[in-house]
Amino acid sequence: MASAFRLQCHCILIFLAALKGETRYLEARGAGEDEPFLLLSADLKRELSGRQLYHRALRCIDMLSVEGQFTFTAEQPQLHCAAFFIGDPEELITIDYDFVHIDCQGGDFLKVFDGWILKGEKFPSSLDHPLPTSERYIDFCESGNIRRSIRSSQNVAMIFFRIHEPGNGFTFTIKKNANLFPCNVISQTPTGTFTMVIPHQHRNCSFSIIYPVVIKISDLILGHLNSLHFKVSCLFVS
Amino acid sequence: MKLQLLVSTGILLVALLPYHECRALGKSPPAAAGAPLPPDFLQPPPSLPVLLRMGEEYFLRLGNLNKSPAASFFASSSSRLPPGAPATNFFRAAVQQLQQLPERSLESAAGPGEGEAESLPREAMEREKRSEEPPISLDLTFHLLREVLEMARAEQLAQQAHSNRKLMEIIGK
Repeated sequence: MASAFRLQCHCILIFLAALKGETRYLEARGAGEDEPFLLLSADLKRELSGRQLYHRALRCIDMLSVEGQFTFTAEQPQLHCAAFFIGDPEELITIDYDFVHIDCQGGDFLKVFDGWILKGEKFPSSLDHPLPTSERYIDFCESGNIRRSIRSSQNVAMIFFRIHEPGNGFTFTIKKNANLFPCNVISQTPTGTFTMVIPHQHRNCSFSIIYPVVIKISDLILGHLNSLHFKVSCLFVS
Repeated sequence: MKLQLLVSTGILLVALLPYHECRALGKSPPAAAGAPLPPDFLQPPPSLPVLLRMGEEYFLRLGNLNKSPAASFFASSSSRLPPGAPATNFFRAAVQQLQQLPERSLESAAGPGEGEAESLPREAMEREKRSEEPPISLDLTFHLLREVLEMARAEQLAQQAHSNRKLMEIIGK
């Protein structure tokens, strides 16, 4: 009787975990990434969680792939600055303004862009992103008092800023959150494997690499139409 | 039977209650409380020979590609960084090259509309200017982008190594 009851409890927990999508989250974590930490006691985990936040100065042109707090202080007028943010494919970027001291009336600006934009070309493209281009820019001078925490829609984001007065600047904190079903991804590395799962959504998704690479698509499932299941296996070699 | 029912109900309630994601462990940044990070950890990675040869310029574009050159920044010719420039000065030198370009303000790009908007409140006028402005982008080459990405990954690896070192110190207590 007791073993039957235990079995019922296990079934209930597994069912609830599956409904919440936790299985996908566990699959998204790399093998052996956090496994050693599971063996630590609760005391050790608490001690590790009390570590200070990583902090460094932000450069005019910078790329950030770690969590932490970053401060930019203009030593001279900085008119053309941008910082790129990139995380793992299964992560979203969250930007929290901790301190901002800029002169919006004097021509300074601080804008977050949901994605990357280079030479006018956007990633994700306008066809793939759920928001129009104008809404992908979040201007601190217009909405700074309302939106002090901004989350990206994919694993990349960037900020543009211009500061005329030396001494002005800002501080923000970068955090990363899990994205169970990433749709638009920029890969940080030129090697590796990635599986994109798009559960029952009618949307365009993309996976980009900014290195010259050979891409091999090992398996491709296109869903079903009229109860017919389509499956295509392709191999591309460049 | 009642006990089993109560336990089942308790399990369901616990499972359905909202929870906060615990991220005590992971790729969080290191550093013990109150202890500053060592200077070598904060420094960017050692220079790579390829960084000294880079001379591509990049610009903050205030217009799209189809706009006239008056609305965007372009250089007539590329310049080279000094051969002896260390990697730590890479960003400083690149920004200095940018600032040598003639400055064009956002107001000049939206000049024709100023006369008609004089009667509007100043805040609404600024909002209208911003909505009319083309999207801001950066004229950074892919080569430079890959270089800064490599530097960011090196920073991430250094931070992970520091975190692992701290973890081993804690475990060794």
